Amino acid sequence: MSLDLSVFNRFAVTRSAGDIIFCEFEPGDAFYLIQTGKVKIVKIVGDVEKTLDILNPGEFFGEMALLEEAPRSATTIALTDVKLLEFNRANFEVLMQGQPQIVLNLLKLFSKRIYDQKRRFMILTLDDVQARVADVFLMLDENGARPMDLTDNSRTFANSVEDIAHWAGLSVSKVSEVLKQFVNQRRVDIQPGKIIVKNIMDFTRFVKSKRQE
Amino acid sequence: MPKATQYKTNSVIYFQGDVGDKIFILKAGKILSKSTDIETKEEINELVAPGEFFGVKSALGRYPRDESVMVLADSEVLLFTVPEFEQLVLSNTRIIMKMLKVFSNQLRRMHGKVQNLIGKGQSKDSESGLYSIGEYYFTNRQYKSAVHALTRYLTLYPAGKYAVEASGLARKAGQGLSRTDSTALFAAAAQEMDDEPDFSPPSPAPVAAPVVGSADPVAAKGFFEAVALANQEKYLDAFKIFQKLVSTNADPEHAAKAEFEMGRCLVHLKKFDEAIKHLTALIQKYPKHPDLKDALFFIGRSYQGKNDRTWARNFFNKILNLAHEDEPVAVKTRKALKELDGSQE
Repeated sequence: MSLDLSVFNRFAVTRSAGDIIFCEFEPGDAFYLIQTGKVKIVKIVGDVEKTLDILNPGEFFGEMALLEEAPRSATTIALTDVKLLEFNRANFEVLMQGQPQIVLNLLKLFSKRIYDQKRRFMILTLDDVQARVADVFLMLDENGARPMDLTDNSRTFANSVEDIAHWAGLSVSKVSEVLKQFVNQRRVDIQPGKIIVKNIMDFTRFVKSKRQE
Repeated sequence: MPKATQYKTNSVIYFQGDVGDKIFILKAGKILSKSTDIETKEEINELVAPGEFFGVKSALGRYPRDESVMVLADSEVLLFTVPEFEQLVLSNTRIIMKMLKVFSNQLRRMHGKVQNLIGKGQSKDSESGLYSIGEYYFTNRQYKSAVHALTRYLTLYPAGKYAVEASGLARKAGQGLSRTDSTALFAAAAQEMDDEPDFSPPSPAPVAAPVVGSADPVAAKGFFEAVALANQEKYLDAFKIFQKLVSTNADPEHAAKAEFEMGRCLVHLKKFDEAIKHLTALIQKYPKHPDLKDALFFIGRSYQGKNDRTWARNFFNKILNLAHEDEPVAVKTRKALKELDGSQE
């Protein structure tokens, strides 16, 4: 997307690396479009700050606040020095008039997020823990780039065990245990910094059978 | 161009799980959308209303169809490709707004369902949640984040159940920060909300950091002359006199006032960073300064001058919490907030 956003310079705000942009539980009245820099989305769970996502230029955050009166569902922190465009309900109309394309992109983002949440729900409702972990890999594969060679069913993931645990809604030790079982069954290979699923179709069939049970 | 297509009774437009990039509008006829409730697995049957879009989310989000769409009686349907759809809604933005509302609602509901599953549902109310974030960052010595969260807490819940704890933590976190850090002043602002009467202020603030040249031989001129100069918008001259008065302690009676006036001059001189630093130190030095609210106002103005709307708004909102509705400072603050919310600078 390359749009001329210079007319929105009056909505530009800057934050230094490490600054909180907004806190979870705060009422939200603005959403942001990143122009330069990176923003991390975190949630404090128990006594750990978990990074949910890292956003790049061109991405939105805080958009849920725009249409509904509801508290923020996560905390956002500037990972680097950032330049943001800040929009609220009052000046959203200006954005709509000036750059409806941005609002349309927001609509696409919502479409994708609804699906992602549904997909996550599907994972979490699997009772079998092996199936849950396998389904996380399927989800990651669906979101990843298509492989060049369609006959190659092996997939390499750069995700950590913590990532998998987060998506599966399981503890890290439980996921490690499951991965070990997969390794013993020769379905998965673990190498430094990567997890290789040897045959993604095998996982697809496995999850499907467990879902029908 | 969108294509008008006829569908016969009992035909299927698409099945759940299909991948497709078309978006549809029912022009005339009778069409049923069949989906499965993700939680209860119950079948949901909904009639598509004439004029209604279907297949939008899956086409835009590029994922498999969520529902099967069946034709109950001969129907006429308009078919759009994604670019055609985009063209249509870009020239009719009310459609986008309407859809955004619907999608936003669905997203929040879905999000809530997932949160319930992982047991992080509504276990916390917003007030306790926000306070616990401040507490977390304080415990982990991330003082800047702690001050931010706690200040937001105090701004939103000035008389909240954790207000006393929050102002205490904010103060300590502020002390943990370097004094030159502008966020430290929030701790100072928090002090003001502290209920404990015998609270001893943090180490004395440095005497105002002079930034605009050095003092001229103007010591003879008194405080009121400087005020007069400021009123004539001769802010640099006025600043120099106030600075001299403060640094030589020539007029103890008006020292606190003079320090405040220095801050005001800096704002008018558009030295916003210096103004913020100066007024921060002022509030820390004189937590009960008679011009406290005005000092907060000028800090807000400085952030506004720096085009930092969020922090400007934080300060302005804080003033409204402290001031009576009809106080002059409240009136000008509301005006400033209106400016911030509007499109003008």
